[in-house]
Amino acid sequence: MKKEYEIKARDFVRAGKAAIGVQNILKSIGFEQDIIRRVSICAYESEMNVVMHGADGSLLLGVENKEIVLEVRDSGEGIEDIELALKEGYSTASEEHRDMGFGAGMGLPNMKKHSNVFEISSQKGNGTYLRMVFWVNGNRE
Amino acid sequence: MQEKENHVHYVRIDEDICNGCVLCMKACPTKAIRVLDDGVAHILGCCIECGNCIRACPKGAITSLTAGKDALKMSKHHIVPVSPVLYAQFGEDVMPNDILLSMRKAFDFVYDQSYTQELFNVATGLYIREHRNQNDGHWPVISPMCPVVNRLIAFRFPSLLKHILPFATPLEIVCREGKKWLSKKYGCQPEDIKVFPVTACPAKMTALSETLPDELSRIDGAIGINEIYDLIKSDIHEVQEPDEHIVLNYLSGVGIGWAMSGGEVAGLDAVRSLAVSGMKTTIRYLHAIEMGLLKDVDYVELRACREGCVGGAFAVTDKYAAKHSLNKLIRMFGSEKRVNFSYAQKLYREGWFNTTRNPTPLSDSASRLSIPEAIKREEDLEKLLKTLPRKECGVCGCPDCRTFAEDVIDGRTSVDKCIFMQP
Repeated sequence: MKKEYEIKARDFVRAGKAAIGVQNILKSIGFEQDIIRRVSICAYESEMNVVMHGADGSLLLGVENKEIVLEVRDSGEGIEDIELALKEGYSTASEEHRDMGFGAGMGLPNMKKHSNVFEISSQKGNGTYLRMVFWVNGNRE
Repeated sequence: MQEKENHVHYVRIDEDICNGCVLCMKACPTKAIRVLDDGVAHILGCCIECGNCIRACPKGAITSLTAGKDALKMSKHHIVPVSPVLYAQFGEDVMPNDILLSMRKAFDFVYDQSYTQELFNVATGLYIREHRNQNDGHWPVISPMCPVVNRLIAFRFPSLLKHILPFATPLEIVCREGKKWLSKKYGCQPEDIKVFPVTACPAKMTALSETLPDELSRIDGAIGINEIYDLIKSDIHEVQEPDEHIVLNYLSGVGIGWAMSGGEVAGLDAVRSLAVSGMKTTIRYLHAIEMGLLKDVDYVELRACREGCVGGAFAVTDKYAAKHSLNKLIRMFGSEKRVNFSYAQKLYREGWFNTTRNPTPLSDSASRLSIPEAIKREEDLEKLLKTLPRKECGVCGCPDCRTFAEDVIDGRTSVDKCIFMQP
């Protein structure tokens, strides 16, 4: 099954709704607690990235028997140096975002850590595309 | 972990009074209520005993079963632990001692919980420091106090069950220790001493009677504040002889504060804590904890009722007026703990606070499908939902369109029950 959530840039009031939606669907299907936790952490981190840095975007949840896939796109400013962005502690968050408790530079590294496959493509000025795959039962068959 | 089903619940809807409006169904956070073809509301799903339906019903058709004050007549010796919410029910000029003394005329052994609550606070602090230092445990730790929150976690957030502080609540401790102590005094078996807490909480009955394997920690029945309100009210202005009883003298501002949101964590020293109240906000925070967003917080006090236990469904005085009275009492009694720290520490080391509670997930029917079946069900649900009007009106007898779609897919109702889908 697939379900798409719209994400509005800078809408901090509704931020997190997509991640909670993902969490609820996975619970309702009845996946193991651990994979639900990992997917929802990644859904939340990526949703917040779009809200903070992106222009409007979307989060697409794909659920199959063997894998759960999250695809997140936005049409924001993009990432100049992806390798640098993946380093723990590196952050381009503004003062305002840090005041809200974000910007520790753990977002992308966290997503990479909690997913089984992590793909990112981005070009300065052309938005960002993220794809994360989570294997049900831990390994690929 | 084993999953439990067919749990008893104590909320009842009187079919003769219910007119089948949708208000209780809409108010239910677990979507457990349906209005069926017989035109009245029924509790069919997982009830967490929050009391939202009791508050929502304009006809007063919904009640929660309690033991009632008559149950006391059946037992020779009983302990009546008092929720501090009671102290706020009779206006700001009536002192807790007056209330407790008045109650002692009607009840055998009336017990204020301040002392146990202070001990519990100290032990919680010790637990958190010890486990933070050893870098183990699940963070944040969640307060075990609110029985509705415990059931909500078991039903919708089972992965968070291991976050609940593994301590017996002050009420459970009062049950256990009080039974031992009074049985010695009266020369009878601990089981012969019955415990009937006076409470604003419709969930006390369930929470304490079904989840604890330890017989001694169980309550025998709850008494709603609304049920004894008149009894105390009529008696309270008579002159009371002071009583030398220690528990009456132990009342503390710390203990009184537990009636309100933030009261439990106010007694925690040097612990990073949060206090959250109200069902919606509590659910939001549970989602956040599940997503790992509050790892830096040590302790979270969650209360299903808005403003904490003063907002309980059995309270007579409104929560905001009650808070005013309680804050006055806290100023009067002071907000310092008086319990002996070394003694509390000794009890903690001896495992005095440890619970025999073994929290298990609650489930409803949908979760018994295999993963492929459940994914297929979710697909069918989404497809059906797209055709529904999303007016969320409740005329079909389900609380919202999503739940209606679930019921259709699971064969509990049919699409033509939706007035917008009729040909």
